[in-house]
Amino acid sequence: MVKIKIRAFGKIAEILGKPELEWECSMQTDALRNALERKFPELKNSQYLLSVNKKIITTNSPLRQNDEVGMLPPFSGG
Amino acid sequence: MREHKPKNIFVEGPISSERIAKSIQSHSSKTDIGGHSIFLGQVRADKKEKGTVVAIEYTAYKEMALEKAFEIREDIFAKYPLTCMHIYHSLGEVKTGEICLFVFTSSKHRKTAIDACSELVERIKAELPIWGKEITDRQEEVWKENT
Repeated sequence: MVKIKIRAFGKIAEILGKPELEWECSMQTDALRNALERKFPELKNSQYLLSVNKKIITTNSPLRQNDEVGMLPPFSGG
Repeated sequence: MREHKPKNIFVEGPISSERIAKSIQSHSSKTDIGGHSIFLGQVRADKKEKGTVVAIEYTAYKEMALEKAFEIREDIFAKYPLTCMHIYHSLGEVKTGEICLFVFTSSKHRKTAIDACSELVERIKAELPIWGKEITDRQEEVWKENT
């Protein structure tokens, strides 16, 4: 288990109720995603990418103590 | 003009015409420039189910956006022989009719500036972790979706 910081944005931050969250989880991003979706079921119907330390991940990735995980809905800048 | 560190692209609120004019003026001493290409993104009064948009509120994953903007900048400088490149994006509230994105490229010849500016705008919209929340005239809020 590792302690990480979650940063949520856009609609995802609204689902979580806040833009930042400290979270304890197992050391893989897939497991983190599952745990978050169990706690916040609305996430299952939402589109978002995960980033680890500001890099977007597309496959199951390892998590280390104090990593920063971003929950990023589709970008809409510009 | 090349600096190998992230530049701050964010501006609080709308981007003023004054800032745009000053930027143009400040390049007049660079006499190797033959062409500038400028893109301005303006907030549009879209009609949505929840009303007509009166403003967009922008938020960003700032640290990640600055890193990614730096990466895009380096890529574009590597691909096109530009003299200069500037990116400014608003944070916070920007009302309809106001400017929320200012992209400016300069080069010796116009095709380079135009092509680079176009590619830069597309990459900014696709890759920067920035989000817009549309606020309507009925005080409703809708998360913007880029097309």
